[in-house]
Amino acid sequence: MILGPATVGGSISAHGLGGAKDLPIPSELAIAGAVAALVVSFTVLAVAWREPRYDAATSGRPAPAWLDRLVSSRALAVSARVLGMVFFLYVAAAAVFGEDTLINPFLGTVYVLLWVGLVPASLLLGPVFRAISPARTISMLFARISGVPEGQGLYTYPARLGYWPAAIGLFAFVWLELVYPSSTDVGPVRLWFAAYLGIMLIGSAMWGTTFLARADPFEVYSSLVAKLSVWGRRDGALVLRSPLANLDTVVPRPGLVAVVGVLFGSTAFDSFRESTPWLKLVQSMSTSRVWPDTLALIAFSAGVALVLAVATMATGVASDTPRRELPNQFAHSVVPIIVGYIVAHYLTYFVEYGQQTVIQLSDPFSRGDDFLGTADLQVNYWLSTHPTFLAVSKVAAVTLGHVVGVVAAHDRAVKLLPRRHQLTGQLPLLVAMVGFTVGGLYLLFAA
Amino acid sequence: MSGRVLTRLAPVVLVLAASLTACGGDGDADQTSTSSDTASDTPSDTSADTPSDTPTESSDAADTVAVTVTREGGSFTPNGERVELGVDQALVLTIEADEAGELHVHSTPEREIAYEAGTSEHKIVIDRPGVVEVESHDPDVILLQLEVR
Repeated sequence: MILGPATVGGSISAHGLGGAKDLPIPSELAIAGAVAALVVSFTVLAVAWREPRYDAATSGRPAPAWLDRLVSSRALAVSARVLGMVFFLYVAAAAVFGEDTLINPFLGTVYVLLWVGLVPASLLLGPVFRAISPARTISMLFARISGVPEGQGLYTYPARLGYWPAAIGLFAFVWLELVYPSSTDVGPVRLWFAAYLGIMLIGSAMWGTTFLARADPFEVYSSLVAKLSVWGRRDGALVLRSPLANLDTVVPRPGLVAVVGVLFGSTAFDSFRESTPWLKLVQSMSTSRVWPDTLALIAFSAGVALVLAVATMATGVASDTPRRELPNQFAHSVVPIIVGYIVAHYLTYFVEYGQQTVIQLSDPFSRGDDFLGTADLQVNYWLSTHPTFLAVSKVAAVTLGHVVGVVAAHDRAVKLLPRRHQLTGQLPLLVAMVGFTVGGLYLLFAA
Repeated sequence: MSGRVLTRLAPVVLVLAASLTACGGDGDADQTSTSSDTASDTPSDTSADTPSDTPTESSDAADTVAVTVTREGGSFTPNGERVELGVDQALVLTIEADEAGELHVHSTPEREIAYEAGTSEHKIVIDRPGVVEVESHDPDVILLQLEVR
C-alpha cells in the first residue's frame, strides 16, 4: 500500500511528459463533428463564390500608423531579441547545469512552451518565433561581427530546396518527442538542440537568413501558423487581414506538402500510438517499439502528403499550370486543419503542463530555488475536471479548422483551375480534407 | 443571390447549432451530477437500481474495480488493457510477481507502486477524469490504461 506522490527526482520515465491524458471524446460528438464537416464542405462547394476573392497584392486594411511604427520599430525588434536570448540562456543553463529529472524545466520548455505554445503565440501575434529565435539572433550577431551585410550568406539559397530542410527538421523533432524512448532524458534532448543550433548557424553563414526562414523547423512552423493570424504585410506596411485572406498569402515552395504532412501526420500518430490495438501489437513484439513506431510515424507523415498530392493533382488543369505544382499550391489549405487538430490534441497538455512548466522554471537546477516567484503557484486543473466542455471545445476546433481549410482550398481552386474543372477538380481534395478531419475525429474518439 | 446563399447555408447552421446545443446540454448535466453527488457512485449504477440493493456489501463491491497483474520471467499480463474506472473509485490491483519491482501510475502527479515478490494488493484512487497509464519500467511495458470518468 505504498502509494505517495512520486519522488520524481531519480525516476527516469520512458513515458512522455505529463501525466494523465484526455479521455476519448464521446461518439455522438465525433459523429456530430464529422457530419458538420461533411455538410459544410459540400455547402461551400455549392454556394461559395466563383471568382477568386483573396489576393495578397490588394487584401488587408492598413493598420493604424502608430501600431505600424511600433511593430516595425527597431526598439521592439531589439527587445524581442534580447528577451528571446535571455530566456534561451536561462533554459540552456537548466539544460546544461540542471539535473536529469522530469522536473528540469528544459523539457517542459521544449515540449510544451516551444513546440505547442508556438501555435497560439503565432495565431495571436503573427510570426513570433522569428522575432525571438535565438538561432537568428546569434547568426545576426555573427554577421555583424564579421562585417557581412545583414541577412546575406556566401551563396544564394537554392530555390528548389524550398521547405524540404524544415520538413526534415520537423520530422527529427517529432521523432525525438514521440518515438525516441529517452525523449524525457535531458541529455539526448540537449544534444538534439545543440545539433539544431549548430546546423542553423552553419546554414545561415552559408545561405544567409533565408536559410533560417526555410530550414529552421520552428520558424517555418510558426510563420505558417502566423498566416492564420490577422497580421500581415503588404509592400512592407502592416495590414490587418481576415485569417482566410492572410492564409492565401502563403508562398508555395517545394517541400511545403512535406511540412504539412509531417505536422499533421505526427499529431495523428501521437493519438494512434496510444490506442489499444497498436499498443498491444508493439508490446507483443520481441523487438523494442522504436522500429514499428518509426515506421508508423513515417507512414502517417508520408500518407498525409501523398493523399494531398494525389487529391490535388486529380483534376483538369489549364496549359499554363504544371500539374506537379498543384500540391504545393494547395498545401496552405491543410494548415487550418492542422491547427484545429493541434488545438484538440494539445489543449489540456498545453494549459496544464504549461502551468507546471512555468512553476518549474522558477527552480531551473532543482535545488528549491524560486528565481521567478512562481515556484509556489499551483496548477489549475479546471479543464481536466470538465471533460464535456473539453470534448466540445476539441470537436469545435477541429470542425472550425476544417471549414477554414475548405474555404481556402475553394478560393485557390477557382483561381487556378480552368473554369470547366473548377467544381469537379475540387472534389478529390474535398474528399481528402473530409478524410483528414474525420480521421482526426476518429482518433480523438478511439485513442 | 444572398437569399439563396442563406437558405443553402441553413442546414449547416442547423447542424452546428444542434450539435453544440446537444453537447451544451450534456455538459450541464454532467457538471451538475458530478458536483451534486461527488461521493462515489457511478451514474449508470445509481439510475438503474439504487434503492433495492442492500446498501452495505454490494455497493462496496460495486465501488471498486479489481484487476490482477502478473509478472512472470520478465513478461507481464495484461498487455495494454483498457479499464474503466470512476473518479474517486478504487482500483484494487493484485500483483502476482516472481520478482520485486515497481509500477508507475502516470496520473498527475505521477505515483509509484513498489511490490515484492509474491502476491500483494494495492489500491489506486484517481481524483480527476482522464486516461491514466499504469506502466512497468525495466522492462518498459504499459500494462493498463485506466479510463477514469
